Amino acid sequence: MTGGRWSIPLRQPHTLRKVKEALRKHKQYLLTGVSYVIPFIACGGILIAVAITYAFQFELVDAQGRPDFTQAPPLIQALARVGEKAFQLFPPVLAGFIAHAMAGRPGLVPGFVGGLIAGVPQAVGEKSANAGFLGALVIGLVAGHVVNGIKKMPVPKLLRPVMPIIIIPILSTVPVGLVMLGINLPIAKIMIGLGDFLEGMQGGSQVVLAMILGAMIAFDMGGPVNKAAFFFGAAMIQQGNIEVMGACAAAICTPPLGLGLATRLSRRRWSAEQREAGLAALGMGLVGITEGAIPFAAGDPFRVIPSIMIGSMVAASIAMLGGVGDHAPHGGPIVLPVVDNRWMYLAAILAGSVVTALCINTMKQLTERPAEKPGENQT
Amino acid sequence: MNIVAVTACPTGIAHTYMAAEQLEKTARRLGHQIKVETQGAMGIENELHASEIDAADVAILAADIAIENSERFAKVRKIEVSVQEALKNPEGVLQRAAVA
Repeated sequence: MTGGRWSIPLRQPHTLRKVKEALRKHKQYLLTGVSYVIPFIACGGILIAVAITYAFQFELVDAQGRPDFTQAPPLIQALARVGEKAFQLFPPVLAGFIAHAMAGRPGLVPGFVGGLIAGVPQAVGEKSANAGFLGALVIGLVAGHVVNGIKKMPVPKLLRPVMPIIIIPILSTVPVGLVMLGINLPIAKIMIGLGDFLEGMQGGSQVVLAMILGAMIAFDMGGPVNKAAFFFGAAMIQQGNIEVMGACAAAICTPPLGLGLATRLSRRRWSAEQREAGLAALGMGLVGITEGAIPFAAGDPFRVIPSIMIGSMVAASIAMLGGVGDHAPHGGPIVLPVVDNRWMYLAAILAGSVVTALCINTMKQLTERPAEKPGENQT
Repeated sequence: MNIVAVTACPTGIAHTYMAAEQLEKTARRLGHQIKVETQGAMGIENELHASEIDAADVAILAADIAIENSERFAKVRKIEVSVQEALKNPEGVLQRAAVA
């Protein structure tokens, strides 16, 4: 089976072909995981956003300016909780179905367990962080390889029936769980270290700080690097510096808004499916959910991630220069009621989104193989 | 030819179904029998039965993600292509299926 790329000449060196095929397969595994997790992100993200909107609208916030649902009506509290649970399933479902795609049913147990561990906040001193999206991607692939390795072991006929229900789950989940437990804390520490580094930057140029934060927020779209920057912004609110969060808030929403905008600006560069995903991304961007950009980045990381990083850097810089302050640890146009210098905030978001859209469309124009264009315009 | 096919894309709301339609239209036009199973966001639709797969001359698996129940196709002659390819060049895919 040479896969779908029959345009690739068969005379390529054997190893190169093997590597290409392996890469193609791994991309397929990651996309399979993403295909299962998209509805979870949408469901959780939107429910939480509804509850947050309500909380801000009626000024239900705690001393740090975070939404406080304890005073909210039971229905709003319930929506927030249900949404939060859907969101918490994000890492386990992602890792579980990546492993499932690689190794079939036996991949589910180590994948889900590894993903669940990736979602657990790790306390480092007084702070905490988790391995999130990136941790889940890595551990899902690890789980798939481990299970496939175990499947290759020669097994006496007598033991064969108990392999799939007892032996493989235990033999695979223990090492996968240990690996995840092992890399959880280092990832958390890296994040905390980044936070400390940013804190040290504070005396320096605020705009440089804003650019670094913007790049971090876009880099992994809701993953650990994003969260490191976000937590730094949130921590600064507590110290009375709301400008840092203002810069973060603008950067948080431009990846999905910019990519959604890109699918509107240049329709023929995007498939019908991507244009639909673009609409969903616009919705998620409005409510400050950077994860809305993931479906685009997962399929095309080398063009999408640099584009959204540049856009978020622009948005964060403009917000910082414009003295935008955000009293709430959340981003996007939805927090407008609790933002200072609202017009500058909107200008920052708009500029960042436009820059993102222009970057990705230009990059597609420059690098797109002509063969990929026709056919997509048919519908 | 008697063809069975599966289409599946990551989001599973548009390309899966567009590719299925292209394969069906083109196969009919060329005088082949075809049944296409779609594995989209709604799950498996128009499911292929074991007897249909056994009776087929060739299976076309047009997927960008790992397909469900792929073990059903273990014994049949098959080609694997991307969803894009089935969408853009269904004739080429069918030609390859014929000589696979």
